[in-house]
Amino acid sequence: MRKASIIFAALALAAAFAASGCRGRTVSPSEVVAVPEQEITLDPLDDAWYPLPYHPAKLILQDLVEPRLMEPSTAEVEVTAMTDGKDVAFRLEWIDGSQNDLPGPQAFIDGCAIQLPSKQDANVPAPQMGEEGKSVEIAYWRADWQAIVDGRADEISSIYPNAAVDHYPFKAESLQKDPKKQQEMARRYAPARALGNDRSGPRKQPVEDMVAGGPGTLSPASPVSSGKGVRTDKGWSVVIVRPLPAFLTDKQSANIAFAIWQGENNETGARKMRTGWIPLVIRRLPE
Amino acid sequence: MARVNNWQLGREMSYWYPESRPEKQFAAVFDINKCIACQTCTLACKTTWTSGKGQEYMLWNNVETKPYGFYPLSWDLKLLEMLDGQQWSPDGSTYEGSTIFESAPAGERVLGWRPEDEDYAYPNVGEDDCAGQIDGGASLQMPHMAWFYYLARICNHCTYPACLAACPRGSIYKRPEDGIVLVDQGRCRGYQECVRGCPYKKVFFNPMTGTSEKCIACFPKIEQGLQPQCFVNCIGKIRLAGWISKPGEEREDNPIDYLVRIRKIALPLFPQFGLEPNVYYIPPIHVPTSFTRQMFGPGVDDAIAAYKKAAAEGDDDLTGLLGLFGSTEEVLSRWNRSGETITGFNDKGEEAVRVPLREPVSIRPSYDKLYQITRVNCP
Ligand code: SF4
Ligand code: SF4
Repeated sequence: MRKASIIFAALALAAAFAASGCRGRTVSPSEVVAVPEQEITLDPLDDAWYPLPYHPAKLILQDLVEPRLMEPSTAEVEVTAMTDGKDVAFRLEWIDGSQNDLPGPQAFIDGCAIQLPSKQDANVPAPQMGEEGKSVEIAYWRADWQAIVDGRADEISSIYPNAAVDHYPFKAESLQKDPKKQQEMARRYAPARALGNDRSGPRKQPVEDMVAGGPGTLSPASPVSSGKGVRTDKGWSVVIVRPLPAFLTDKQSANIAFAIWQGENNETGARKMRTGWIPLVIRRLPE
Repeated sequence: MARVNNWQLGREMSYWYPESRPEKQFAAVFDINKCIACQTCTLACKTTWTSGKGQEYMLWNNVETKPYGFYPLSWDLKLLEMLDGQQWSPDGSTYEGSTIFESAPAGERVLGWRPEDEDYAYPNVGEDDCAGQIDGGASLQMPHMAWFYYLARICNHCTYPACLAACPRGSIYKRPEDGIVLVDQGRCRGYQECVRGCPYKKVFFNPMTGTSEKCIACFPKIEQGLQPQCFVNCIGKIRLAGWISKPGEEREDNPIDYLVRIRKIALPLFPQFGLEPNVYYIPPIHVPTSFTRQMFGPGVDDAIAAYKKAAAEGDDDLTGLLGLFGSTEEVLSRWNRSGETITGFNDKGEEAVRVPLREPVSIRPSYDKLYQITRVNCP
């Protein structure tokens, strides 16, 4: 009799948690559901996310090309999505015990990415960054870019607060009165920036748009996505907003894949956890 | 993996890409015996190329004091410990151990490791201090009781670059016209795989641009037929830049071929790693060869013997050619000796410089009879 009442109490408690603690979040076990909304939000902490069903996407090792991780790290990413008919917003949440957003030698950055085929085709591209002739579109968010967008100064002292610098050529007195010449000189000593390399910053967006046709072919695409990531008590919560692909409608589903990098585990580039293709549908919440 | 020929190992080896030797290969000889560790080369490079944000810690050229100096910390020791069995055949002609390509662990393209930021914090500070206890009354005797030497290092513009093999994006390329290895700053995404892969740790991650950067062999100068900054600013005149011919095509009148392939007095740095590095060192003559054999391969004893004999036994060709080091800004692709005169020719075949076999020497007596005073060397 006593045993039975304990079990009953436990069940009641679990039900209460499900209703309040998780605020009634529902799981969408086999697909990512983009719910039509009047307006989409860029804020990962916006209440608008909570009624939406999330898909717990299982992550597996990138095991197609070297170099690669040999031991799995992040197990799962929870994905919620909404669309206003023009753009689609994905919120990715995953557990990551350490915040890695300071770049440096042997210092890698937390990040996540979403990937969709460039066009709808019954014959889908390989989920590992597409194939030749069957390209994929990728939007990639990084924690260090987020920090820059949130106001971290583009200075070495942001990374090494006690850094001592004797002199930068662009700080020469003769250039002080000519900001244009000064910038030109600074670019000369930042070769990646001089060449217009998208990733070399300083970034105005924490998300970068890219296109790939197989491993090693990742190239910049015109910037169309935006995003915002925040640190939560368990890890990261990141929203990536991109244009709604024309082939994704309430009648026609699409495919999407995700990847997560854990900086603490030296994950970078091909050393990552990823998913296979997951069905992506547009569906209203039941009334 | 492809099978490629590595002449420094006397055998074929596995490499990520098939053999494709450039039309010309940038190469250099550094005479360690002349280096005074003044770091003028380091500063010449630093002020020319790496004064930007995020490049503060980078030394594309550095000079470290062996055996205790490193930049970055333990760059060579770490890999030597990781690389199993580095034995050569008894006659020294063939490397029987495995290279960093052949011992790549599962999931990796090469055997490597990555320094942490702190490992770059000790560029040759204090390594010249005597590491052992000196007993009272000790004085310098020859051969040295204690020894050290200076090792000047730049990127080796390897024939089989590990940085290039390690990059999953193909952001690193070896120029077909001169063999110079470059990181494409427009394509690099900062994965630091090259930093991990280069056994010489000559690629550096720039945290401000998020890309990796390295020595460019001063290619804008090379393209004009001029030697790099760290070469022409060298006070000790230890360096000579030029071209090394493909194996089997070496020429006596090519200064680099003559020193490296024909006289074999200049040796690659850690040939056992398997990269066919193209900076060649005349090994230090006052250092136990048990140490330098590991660093420069089994040719060390013969190289030292030939070098020592050159001046002592009237080996005028070798002595004369060494006189061309630091004699001109132009890259010398040909040389000859006629009697007491050594002439260097540039890439166009024009005479670039002429040096005497022996510089005239005059020794002032320490006592000045005219003024009846003893001369001293300080001003
Ligand atoms: S020394 Fe290092 S950076 Fe230079 S080519 Fe060789 S592997 Fe690449
Ligand atoms: S060759 Fe040029 S870029 Fe390379 S270390 Fe020397 S000065 Fe620097």
